[in-house]
Amino acid sequence: MQRFAELLVAAVLLAGLYATMAYGLGLIYGVLRVVNLNHGGVIMAGAYLGWVLHEKLGIDPYVSIPLVVVASFLIGIVVYRGLVRHLPRGAAGAVQSLLLLFGVWLVLRNAAYLLFTGNDQTIRTPYSTESVRAMGISLSVNRLAVFGIAVLTLVLLHLFLTRTFTGKAIRAVAQNPDSCTLVGVDVERIYTLTFGLGSALAGLAGLLGATLFSFSPSFGSVELLKSFVIVVLGGLGSVMGTAAAALVLAVVEVFAILLLPAYLTAAVGFVLLVLVLVFRPGGLFGQRVLG
Amino acid sequence: MSVLPHWVSRPVLAAFLVALAIGAVLPPVLRWSVYTQNLVTLTYLFVAAALAWNWLGGYLGQVSFGHSAMFGVGGFVSARLLLALHLPFWLAWIAGGLVAGLYALLWGHPTLRLRGPYFSIATIGVGEATRLILTYWEGLTGGSSGLSLPIEANLKQTLYFWGLGLMGIVAAASYAMRKSSFGLGLLAIKSDVDAAADVGIAPTFMQDLVLFLSGLAVGITGAFYASYFSFIEPGDMFGFDRSISFVLMAVIGGVGTIVGPALGAVVFVMLRQFLIGSYPQLYLGLYGFLLIVVILFEPLGMVGLFFRIARRTGLVRPELEATLEAKAAPGGAVGEGRTGGME
Repeated sequence: MQRFAELLVAAVLLAGLYATMAYGLGLIYGVLRVVNLNHGGVIMAGAYLGWVLHEKLGIDPYVSIPLVVVASFLIGIVVYRGLVRHLPRGAAGAVQSLLLLFGVWLVLRNAAYLLFTGNDQTIRTPYSTESVRAMGISLSVNRLAVFGIAVLTLVLLHLFLTRTFTGKAIRAVAQNPDSCTLVGVDVERIYTLTFGLGSALAGLAGLLGATLFSFSPSFGSVELLKSFVIVVLGGLGSVMGTAAAALVLAVVEVFAILLLPAYLTAAVGFVLLVLVLVFRPGGLFGQRVLG
Repeated sequence: MSVLPHWVSRPVLAAFLVALAIGAVLPPVLRWSVYTQNLVTLTYLFVAAALAWNWLGGYLGQVSFGHSAMFGVGGFVSARLLLALHLPFWLAWIAGGLVAGLYALLWGHPTLRLRGPYFSIATIGVGEATRLILTYWEGLTGGSSGLSLPIEANLKQTLYFWGLGLMGIVAAASYAMRKSSFGLGLLAIKSDVDAAADVGIAPTFMQDLVLFLSGLAVGITGAFYASYFSFIEPGDMFGFDRSISFVLMAVIGGVGTIVGPALGAVVFVMLRQFLIGSYPQLYLGLYGFLLIVVILFEPLGMVGLFFRIARRTGLVRPELEATLEAKAAPGGAVGEGRTGGME
């Protein structure tokens, strides 16, 4: 029972991080209909940026959050304005944007190899190993902080999308860009902003992930696939749906440790992705994709 | 009167046979070093793999990021058969290829029904799950330490010709698949699945068949790879790098065209050989950069570039080029996307 409770708490704390990284992917897909394969690249970039700031300048990873968020926002804007914008939209562009963004990811990954080598890195702070006890369960301070920041981010995002003019414009463009143009919304600006926002979430998730796990230039590929699973499961646009799906994935993963050898738990996410796409495509990004 | 189907062009057939004959007499005539012959055999192998990837990714427009799964399954099944039953290697290759093709059907039959980018996303999951699970399954793959096959004298000499033959068969199949009425059906499915079904094409059957054939051929190339190197390990066979190498070869050469993936594979192998020697840390990034440039400026890759040059110099009639581009472009008819604007 004790072990069960500990695993459950671990899953909930993990789910916060998962929801943050998945929401960025879902947002970009929902508004632009572009699958941002570079999501994993930005997650990795966020992790390394946090590491550099901590290692070279001694900035605490939690203090560097605004810097990392702004930097990954800018990455997103550059990628959109410089590359994605020039591709055809709709069916013809879908495969092209997939390949293009995959290319960007390869370049980012290679840049990270050149700059930081392929070695595993960690962000170690004095409080990395601290934990508090509550109701007989010991909780890592770091994990609690990551969970808190993730929840705060999602709440702010939800308020932004539902309460502000720009947020409403983003949601409107997701529904019908042509009508938005008619009523005076600058659709191109909204696309740019959305791509930046999605990237910023990826960078934040990367930084938060880096405080918990070790990472290397290939960090982000597993996270990208997990984000897919969550977006597929939770549908698009709803913060609650994303959070619920993130919790499902985290619980399945964490409890898989009880049944499977440790090595295979990494495969659970991938298998789940395929199964979800096959059996629950209706929930995919909140729309039907199966003929 | 002709024994050939009407879609076979005689000049193309002649050129193909001459090319194969040249390939067969080259090694003794030029007295290649072992290094050169290895490189050329490897090129044949990857030309075959890239062409087979293109059946699915180009002809059908379903980009797979998980073809390493079939490459690895073909390799390990045939290696196990060679070790356990001492079959002739070609028989083991076919068996490995068949298992790989069936494995492709197992995950592909349901996922091919997905529209848009979802199939591609599912393939990433398939590839990685296969890598993890089969690395764990030591009974088949020998775990992360891999499998060694007995080394036979002069095997590589023999395999050069088998590689040439394998590439020839796959190239002939690529041509047939594009030019026959079957290829016309694939084009229709790629442009619009529903409309294709309306005019009497069976999309489900045809997609499954192409996936099976693609998996079979890639599985056989994996089996060939195993025989050629006498040692295979799951990290190399099933790696994500392996999957994306197929994508890169086809895209750089010209996805959806008949010769593009072959050109791309040649460039890929040569470039890789050069870069691994001189700049081992740079080659993935360079491929990424190439991918970006190709997609942005010349979605039909080297074949598209060729037509661009030919148009400037007036070598090719514009209408011929227009039909070819519309057919081959990734994601279906090109014009639709450019003019369609935002959906």
